Amino acid sequence: MQALRAEFIKLKRSLSWTVVFLLPLVMVLSGAVNTLMAGEQPDDGWHTMWLRSAVFYGLFPLAVGIGILASLVWRSEHQGGNWNALMSGPTSTWRIVAAKAGSLSLLTAGMQILLLSSVAAVGKLVFGLPGMPPPDYLGITALIAVACLPVAVLQSGLSMIFRSFAVPIAVAFTGAGLAVVLLLAELPGLVWVFPYALIGRTTQLGTGTFADSGHISAVDVLTVLGASGLLTVVLLFGSVAWLERKDF
Amino acid sequence: MKASALAAELTKTRRLRTGLMTLALAVAVTGLTIASAATSPAFSSPQDSWSALLAGIGLAFPVCSPLLLAVLASRQVDIEHQSNGWIFAQTSRVTPGALCRLKLLTTGPGVGLATITASLLVLAFGLLAGDGGAPPWGLWVGYTLCVLAVNLVVLGLHILLAARIQNQLVGLGIGVLGTLFGVFASAMPAAIAHITPWGYYSLVAVAEYQGEELMLQRPAVVSIAALAALAALGFTAVTTFFDHKEA
Repeated sequence: MQALRAEFIKLKRSLSWTVVFLLPLVMVLSGAVNTLMAGEQPDDGWHTMWLRSAVFYGLFPLAVGIGILASLVWRSEHQGGNWNALMSGPTSTWRIVAAKAGSLSLLTAGMQILLLSSVAAVGKLVFGLPGMPPPDYLGITALIAVACLPVAVLQSGLSMIFRSFAVPIAVAFTGAGLAVVLLLAELPGLVWVFPYALIGRTTQLGTGTFADSGHISAVDVLTVLGASGLLTVVLLFGSVAWLERKDF
Repeated sequence: MKASALAAELTKTRRLRTGLMTLALAVAVTGLTIASAATSPAFSSPQDSWSALLAGIGLAFPVCSPLLLAVLASRQVDIEHQSNGWIFAQTSRVTPGALCRLKLLTTGPGVGLATITASLLVLAFGLLAGDGGAPPWGLWVGYTLCVLAVNLVVLGLHILLAARIQNQLVGLGIGVLGTLFGVFASAMPAAIAHITPWGYYSLVAVAEYQGEELMLQRPAVVSIAALAALAALGFTAVTTFFDHKEA
């Protein structure tokens, strides 16, 4: 817990909040502007609002956003003699990796909450939609946050390995591109085990886009939870093993 | 411009894996175009086969280019910030502005090669897998040249941004916003698309859906020529300003 608190202190001046706030907001606003420019209204109310905001967001901006946040989380360690200070300190490798991934996951979860809040705000203020978004979207938001865990751990690992700020972001973008190909090809087996495709698939839940049926079944929910949990554990162990072996 | 400075810049591109980045751009654009065209019903229709590929590549470039070009420029310039390279270069009579021009000169051909390679690979896919007869050569060449010009303008802009603002988050963040603007600009009026360099990705598109129908059109050559001329002037002016600015 102390290590996690230390991570947030380091992040205070990193401008990470701009990514957490701006990315979901810009995505929702882009969807809204697009709809307004076409002279349309969200035909199916909250469903259309969610679909236009979340599906494209899950295809690549979300993965890139997590990549940027991961680079910010690790940037301070790669500057000056901070890496040596970190490695020679009393904090174990396991706690360092877990704290970095944990702080990144919390920021990522914040992005999902802001996405839903932005959808609600834009839906009400711009389109005057009745009521509030159905509670289903709260569940989907929570599932997206869980599906982001493997990508957060993977990106944290990449930013730990590469000193470069930009390279892990390019990897996230390439991974997201490959995920789009897998989603277009409708290969369910691969989609659930490829972290970048997993977040894309989860943002599509209930939308009826790509291979999604438009209905969320218990199997879908359990698959997201199972795949996310398994991938997170594997990637976390992989990151710890890399840091244990490579840093000397 | 000193040949030794150019050689040093080329050495940096090798060390920074610039070739790998440009390869990623070519592969990403080709992969995304083929995946989107192959899953589109229009591709299997003989009269729309080439239009589907042109629509696919017209979407793949704005999706892939802005961020990868931002990464490329950011890496190429960041080493100067990290190692105080600006002052080191000045002691060798290479001014900051000249260094920026050298960076565009060394990364630009790679971006050009990646753009042309992606276009040729998609064309080859169309010839091998499509059923649409002869390709629309004029439109294909026109699109490739226009998108190449837009890519170089965006690259130049990111080099200047990276040189001016040390925090890479800014350049990459603008790259992400550029991607969004590039993708959504096709749904906006042409006047709005003209405002930023990323909007020009939609102006060069030669195939787009109008309702359910795929329509072919000529790229906005005059707009692209104006953008290229303005960008060349702007790049020269800003790099000259860098030359006279105290380090």
